[in-house]
Amino acid sequence: MTLISQIVEQARLAARALAEFGGGLFNPTVRLGITGLSRAGKTVFITALVHGLMRGGRFPVFEPLASGRIAAVRLAPQPHDAVPRFDYENHARTLVDERRWPESTRQISELRLLIDYQSQNGALRTLTLDIVDYPGEWLLDLPLLGKSYEQWSAECIAQGRHGARSGLAGSWLAHLVTIDPLAPADEGVAIEAARLFTAYLQACRDERYAMSLLPPGRFLMPGDLAGSPALTFAPLELPEGAEPPHGSLSVMMRRRYDSYREVVVQPFFREHFARLDRQIVLVDTLAALNAGPDAVRDLQGALVSILDCFRIGRGGMFSALFRPRASKILFAATKADHLHHSAHDRLEAILAQMVAGAIAQAGFEGAEVDVIALAAVRATREGHVRGEGGTLPSIIGFPAPDETAGGETFDGRSEVAVFPGDLPADAGALFEPGSHAFRGLTAGCGHDTDFRFVRFRPPQLEQISEGLPALPHIRLDRAMQFLFGDRLQ
Amino acid sequence: MTESFRRPAAFQVDDPRVVVAEQQLVLSDSSEQALVATDSRIADAIANRSRHWRWGTLFWSACSGLVLLALGIAVTNFVEELFARTPALGVVGLGLAALAGLALLALIVREIFGLIRLGTIDSLRHRALTTIGNDDRDEGRAVVTDLLSLTRRMPQLARARHRLETHLTDIIDGRDRVQLAERELMEPLDTEARRLVLSAAKRVSLVTAVSPRAAIDMLFVLINALALIRKLSVLYGGRPGTIGVLRLFRQVISHLAMTGGVAVTDSLLQQIIGHGVAARLSARLGEGMLNGILTARLGILTIDVTRPLPFAALPRPALNDLVGILLRPEGREAGDLGRSEPGKPEK
Repeated sequence: MTLISQIVEQARLAARALAEFGGGLFNPTVRLGITGLSRAGKTVFITALVHGLMRGGRFPVFEPLASGRIAAVRLAPQPHDAVPRFDYENHARTLVDERRWPESTRQISELRLLIDYQSQNGALRTLTLDIVDYPGEWLLDLPLLGKSYEQWSAECIAQGRHGARSGLAGSWLAHLVTIDPLAPADEGVAIEAARLFTAYLQACRDERYAMSLLPPGRFLMPGDLAGSPALTFAPLELPEGAEPPHGSLSVMMRRRYDSYREVVVQPFFREHFARLDRQIVLVDTLAALNAGPDAVRDLQGALVSILDCFRIGRGGMFSALFRPRASKILFAATKADHLHHSAHDRLEAILAQMVAGAIAQAGFEGAEVDVIALAAVRATREGHVRGEGGTLPSIIGFPAPDETAGGETFDGRSEVAVFPGDLPADAGALFEPGSHAFRGLTAGCGHDTDFRFVRFRPPQLEQISEGLPALPHIRLDRAMQFLFGDRLQ
Repeated sequence: MTESFRRPAAFQVDDPRVVVAEQQLVLSDSSEQALVATDSRIADAIANRSRHWRWGTLFWSACSGLVLLALGIAVTNFVEELFARTPALGVVGLGLAALAGLALLALIVREIFGLIRLGTIDSLRHRALTTIGNDDRDEGRAVVTDLLSLTRRMPQLARARHRLETHLTDIIDGRDRVQLAERELMEPLDTEARRLVLSAAKRVSLVTAVSPRAAIDMLFVLINALALIRKLSVLYGGRPGTIGVLRLFRQVISHLAMTGGVAVTDSLLQQIIGHGVAARLSARLGEGMLNGILTARLGILTIDVTRPLPFAALPRPALNDLVGILLRPEGREAGDLGRSEPGKPEK
């Protein structure tokens, strides 16, 4: 049954790839995959990318634009009728005029960008850039594709009883022991279990814990599926070996889990992730560092399990037709403007350590890999503070309202200089199991943490030497050059 | 967490201790590089100048010292003789000798400065190559700053320099910054260099084809090559004197010896074909063609040696492009050169 559905799935992907290969010969297209958990900055990245390309921002490292070979960039009509359009205009207005960050994404959306450029030897061409935005929570579902209900239940329960999560999972676990999985199915029990389980997942996302590995994603961001049976299930403590009787609670839960995978997860994966040319993985390392070592390890676990699902590697002719793969993958530690630039190398080292397995695998498959510290929109300036212990390299900006640092709460109107703490030189020490390399918010020590990355308000537009004012950024041009600069040769 | 780590802190921006960075901020923080990218396209083909002591250098230095001494004594004796004959003549002789000495001193100083400048360009290229390898941010900025001061006197780069200067305070990584500088500053110079090489090659092939004696074209080829080396070096910011040109010539020859074997394979075919057809028509024409091709190759190698940045973002001029233009009939190369260089970077 699963084998057949897998084969059908592969055949579908191959057929689509074949159709697109034919189209791509005449009209080159880059499908840019923007991968990132929730709050990693996907929407801001896309908005800044489109804004910068369309208005010709300040991108010295992005060669086609810097050397003037890009004639125009325009938005094309949405290619797929069933998918909403990425609301670029609204997001740009929120970011630029209101100086607020966009709301978290609740729905999938798409945008198609046409880049008219002149190639190095003078030919006029057009490159189509397809970009997809989606709630980052949904990404957590991808690892479920390879897990049975029993495996998933056991993992969830083990996680809930361990480390920082055990304090949050109390009421769910208490309810769990009262359920008999072999009893006849009861909708009330199922709803209550799903509600408590969802509440536990929501609690894990609090800034103080900043946990990442929280599948199923639709429990956190249901989209248009709220309340449907496919979302009304929860892990159960299943007895070993015994086959549950027909009509029991565990059979019902398993059926719902399977239909969740088939109805919700698989189409999402098929539509948006199985066929990517280029990929950027946005990771909000700083939020995890804010919270503590448990959050860092949890983020690593989530990234590893997600990246396992992707097809990365340089395809030959045959594989380009039947098994398209992302040939370039960029890992970006976002919100790099929350740190002074002298600390960017350490931030990159931490991210590289976190995704070391995926980097090695991508290199083995022949994909090009790079790791950068990125700020798609740079909200701060730099400076330094002369203190007792020497000079502190700091960043200066307007903190968002209600942010706190050093026992002080900001109102969003005053500019402050923040020194966020020194990142460790040895990135490996952060990931040693059971280590408590630093204290974060999870440890409950109030303001006495080792790092404090404050969220800042978006910046004002910056006047560039020629043309319209543009959003400042850090290394967005390098990311663009890496991701599709070679397709604009 | 060890004690050496500093705690996070926040300050109001009007705090007197807060200094907003307007210009570049140089911090002594050593940068760790997690991923050292190795760009296989960029190979350091240029021979490292050996800095160690050599007997040959000693011999020639000692010899020149002796000659200078002998010359000094001869001049002194001569001036003394003049004084012995007529004091007035002696005064004139002394004045002339002093002028000659002064001019010699000026020449030597200029040579030394020229050599130092060539050394600067060499080390700049090595540093740029290292920066492209390890992506070091601070070093990248230092390289570009040095490059800007090296090209300060080039009027055709004024706008490019200004554009590059506006990016000096941006956060750009080492490799990107060096490549940005290459695209901005080297592109006009590369076009000009290509034109110089091509015109020298054409001149050589023409003179060889019409000259009556082999000795004359050998001499002409040599003089033309030295002039080309000098022009290219001046174009890329060097100011070589006579010794500087000779040193560059030696570098080019050793570079030729190192890379010759590699370069032969990719362009031998075309050389043989080009030479062969021309030689069928006339032996002298074929010889001229061959000398022209050799000059073009020499010119390309000279560009490698005199350019202050390695070829990373821009394509290296390929011999095939130049030879192709050389073999074509007159009057067509203007359009070919005007077009921005499409060529594949020569491996």
